[in-house]
Amino acid sequence: MVNALNASLRKEASRILQENLVDVVIGFQAGSLPMTAQPAFVRRAGMAGILINSGFGATNLALYLTRRRHRSERIGLVCRGCESRAVRVLTGERQHVREALYLIGIPCKGIIDRRRIEAEAGPHVLSAEEIDAEVVVTTRSGEYRFLRSEVLHGACRQCRFPHPVGVDITVGELPRERADSLQEGGALSAAEAGTFIGKEPCGFESLTADERYAEFTRRAERCIRCYACRQACPMCYCTQCFVDSTTPRWTESTVGRAGAQAWHIMRAFHQTGRCVGCGACERACPMGIKMRALTDKLNRDMERSYGFVPGKEEIHEPPFAAFSMDDANRFGR
Amino acid sequence: MYKYLPKSELPVLIQTWMAGWAVCAPMGPPDATAFARIDEPSQALLDAIPNTIYPPKALFLPHSEVLLKAVAGRLEEVEDCSPPTLVLGIRSCDVRALSLLDRVFLGGNHIDPYWKARREKAALIGLVCSEPCQSCFCTAVGSSPFDERGADALLTDQGQAYIVKVISEKGRGLFEGLDSASAAQIDEAVQSRKAAEAAMAEPFSRKIASLEASSGKTTGTEEDSEESMPWSIRDRLNAIYESDFWSRIQQACIGCGVCTFLCPTCHCFDIVDEFQRGERVRNWDSCMFRIYSQEASGHNPRPTNLKRVRNRIMHKYAYFQDRYRALGCTGCGRCVRHCPVNIDIREIIQYALEFKAS
Repeated sequence: MVNALNASLRKEASRILQENLVDVVIGFQAGSLPMTAQPAFVRRAGMAGILINSGFGATNLALYLTRRRHRSERIGLVCRGCESRAVRVLTGERQHVREALYLIGIPCKGIIDRRRIEAEAGPHVLSAEEIDAEVVVTTRSGEYRFLRSEVLHGACRQCRFPHPVGVDITVGELPRERADSLQEGGALSAAEAGTFIGKEPCGFESLTADERYAEFTRRAERCIRCYACRQACPMCYCTQCFVDSTTPRWTESTVGRAGAQAWHIMRAFHQTGRCVGCGACERACPMGIKMRALTDKLNRDMERSYGFVPGKEEIHEPPFAAFSMDDANRFGR
Repeated sequence: MYKYLPKSELPVLIQTWMAGWAVCAPMGPPDATAFARIDEPSQALLDAIPNTIYPPKALFLPHSEVLLKAVAGRLEEVEDCSPPTLVLGIRSCDVRALSLLDRVFLGGNHIDPYWKARREKAALIGLVCSEPCQSCFCTAVGSSPFDERGADALLTDQGQAYIVKVISEKGRGLFEGLDSASAAQIDEAVQSRKAAEAAMAEPFSRKIASLEASSGKTTGTEEDSEESMPWSIRDRLNAIYESDFWSRIQQACIGCGVCTFLCPTCHCFDIVDEFQRGERVRNWDSCMFRIYSQEASGHNPRPTNLKRVRNRIMHKYAYFQDRYRALGCTGCGRCVRHCPVNIDIREIIQYALEFKAS
């Protein structure tokens, strides 16, 4: 089944290159290590054969739209749900022209969290294969079988919109619609809260303010300021990030409580009404820091207060870029 | 000289070391994320774990180090009163990295006093990598999972016990009082070292097709690929410096600092004044950051991701060799394992060796 999907994906990629609809097709190819997939940039129809549909593709490929080197290119982008929503946010924010994009939607069964597998099977995984609802992993000490649903990344377990939206074509069969995991009003169900942040004590909102701060502090303390979270995020495309500003300096660059906390809080705030919840930031973090709880909270607030979900619908005016003289609030008038 | 150290006796031994040393070992949370100072012997994670995510260079070149502190309106030097560092369970690749950094910080006309003070006092007890990871390639860059150069002693895990190879005077002092290992035990240790080396993945894998795919040009002919490549990686990289090789390999790179921060030999730093706390701090810096080469005038000599990626690869495999007569890479595989987009430096080097400039 996976192979049939690969075949149709490659065929479509090959076609749009051949017909000169795009300059490059961005998708995934097999990675160099088990449980990895590497972003691939295919510029010749004859090379479309390297493209694969992989549950190990940890990157949100929409991030490449915002890179300067791709800004003037016509891009064919292989899209899962989160990538297609990210494209909507980015085109809504005028970061790329939708007409210069050709979106190939593929069914998404969620991204497999390789750290979850390594936690069970040990660090020496020799191969990993996705077989239907299972992930079969070979290590030096033997074979392990995981239920795919149990080793998905936290963001994907929570995902409400796995379907690619607003794409030009969809290849392969889309999985059955997953039931909305948010309850009425946007509160997390108890079950969802349980998987909210993996194995760690979770449900930020149910903690007291002091507990929340302690937990946040504990996580932020491990931050090494490599900014992999920023670089892996399609929404982080500022020419100059506030942490890179030297005059004035907004935060400490020293690794320590003050700088790390400022970084994570500010980063989250800049995502308000923009984060598509793909979790690429967490997957990119080498230290395994989980900060999605912050952006999730902001996303829930956006949905509760304004009924807005980033990327769910086509937008022409991002909520925090909207301005009206008739605004009921005083600010901005 | 070889000693026999039953694992049951290790905690006692660590306890005695802790009296005079800051004993640093792989620690959590969660599992062996970094080398850190342990408070009790049981915190040291030595068994059946891959190398730490965070490199032990941080023990000698801290990620952030306060150099000067404002005291009553004057900047004063910060005195380091910590006891000497004993690094327990450090892998050969990381020991090798410290030796390479010695060339940087102690080798030239400029001696780094902070590095010097810590390094001279320290002792390194290595641990043979009995289970190299898929991302390891130390054997491809002139080392091995049991390279003992630079270590004071080297442990080989033999299940119930460690066979300790005592290498330096310092090492002799640390393991004094232990029984010598028997000839059979030593032989066993040697065998398991050989097994470790045999378990190494192929150093430079071949995945040329995927990189060719992004070129928009056809690949070389059969005949071309038969041509033998010059084996000096440095010369090869210099030869293709201006080619479109770099635009191909950098495409997936997102420009984060993972590879450089986790690299055991990367050593760039930036000195900043943290005004609010009145400190002058030396922080790690990364050549993968745009701001790294940003000049005060606004000019940036490495303004693109391509140039930054090229610099990183060139530095590891060419510039470091020019300056310090060694490869700047020890094959620890951290950049391979932890790159968010799976950029594999082994593939890049292999590709460089086979690349046909157009």
